[in-house]
Amino acid sequence: MFECNICLDTAKDAVVSMCGHLFCWPCLHQWLETRPNRQLCPVCKAAIGKDKVIPLYGRGSSQQEDPRNKVPPRPAGHRTEPENTTGFPGFGFGEGGFHMSFGIGAFPFGFLTSTFTHPDQRTSQATRGVLHHEDEFISKIFLYVAISFILWLLIA
Amino acid sequence: MSLIKEPLPGVVVDGDQAENLSLWIIHMTGAEGTLYEGEHFQLQFKFSPKYPFDSPEVTFIGPNIPVHPHVYSNGHICLSILTEDWSPALSVQTVCLSIVSMLSSCKEKKRPPDNSFYVKTCNKNPKKTKWWYHGKICVTSYLCIIDY
Repeated sequence: MFECNICLDTAKDAVVSMCGHLFCWPCLHQWLETRPNRQLCPVCKAAIGKDKVIPLYGRGSSQQEDPRNKVPPRPAGHRTEPENTTGFPGFGFGEGGFHMSFGIGAFPFGFLTSTFTHPDQRTSQATRGVLHHEDEFISKIFLYVAISFILWLLIA
Repeated sequence: MSLIKEPLPGVVVDGDQAENLSLWIIHMTGAEGTLYEGEHFQLQFKFSPKYPFDSPEVTFIGPNIPVHPHVYSNGHICLSILTEDWSPALSVQTVCLSIVSMLSSCKEKKRPPDNSFYVKTCNKNPKKTKWWYHGKICVTSYLCIIDY
C-alpha cells in the first residue's frame, strides 16, 4: 500500500508529490538529479520539484534517522508564519539605487578602451606586412586623436 | 515479480534466469484480433547498474522479429519510453504492455523506411541511437540519426 513508486519497497523518509504520488526521498532525489532540467513525476509526468514535495511524518517519527551522506535531508514541511516583516522592502529599494549609479559611472571608460585598443592590435598583427609604415602612421594619428580627446574631456 | 503475480495475456518470463538479474528474456505472443495474432516473439531486457533510474536496453531477439514500422530488422525498437520518456516507475510489465500495444495498433506490416541503412550503420546498443520522436512513437523514422 505505502510502497515507493521507484524502489517498490515500503517508502522510507516518505515524501508525496503535489500530484499525490508516494516516494522514498532518496529515490526521488536521485531521479530529480538524473534529469535536472526535466523534472517530471515518475508516475504521471506532472511537473515536480524539490520544493513541491511534502514530507510525511508518521506517529513517533520525531527521532531523526541517520543523515545519509549522499542524499540531502528531506525538504522540510512548509509552515506559513502569521507575522509579516516590514523592514525588508525598504532595504531592497536602497540597494537597487546603488547599482544603477555605479553602472552609469563606469560606462565612458569602457567605451574609450574598446574604441582605442583596436588599432594597436591591428598594427601588431601587421608588423611583418608590406603596409607596415602606413599602419604605423595611422595608429599614430589614432593615438593623437585619443590623447586630445582625453585632454578635452579633462579640461571640459 | 509482479509479472508473475499479475501476468499480461501472452507475456511470459523465461523461468530459469535467476542467476543473471541483469539480462531477462521475455516470451511474447501477438494479441488476438491483431496482425500479429499467434506469432511468437522474444524480447531481451538488459539492465544497467543504474536501473531503475536508467532505462533498460530492450530489443527483439530470436528467429521472429515483428515486421512493424517502428521495429528494425535487427530487433531495435523506436519507442520513446525506452529512452527519453523513460520513468523509474515503469516496470518490465508496463514496458511489455507498451510494446504489445504498439504492435496491436499496427495497420500494415512493414519495416521502417530507413531499415537497411540503419541496420548497417547503427550501434549495437539501441540507446546510443538518437531517435527522433513525433508524439509517443516516431513516425519519421527515416530521420533517425546515429549518435556516437
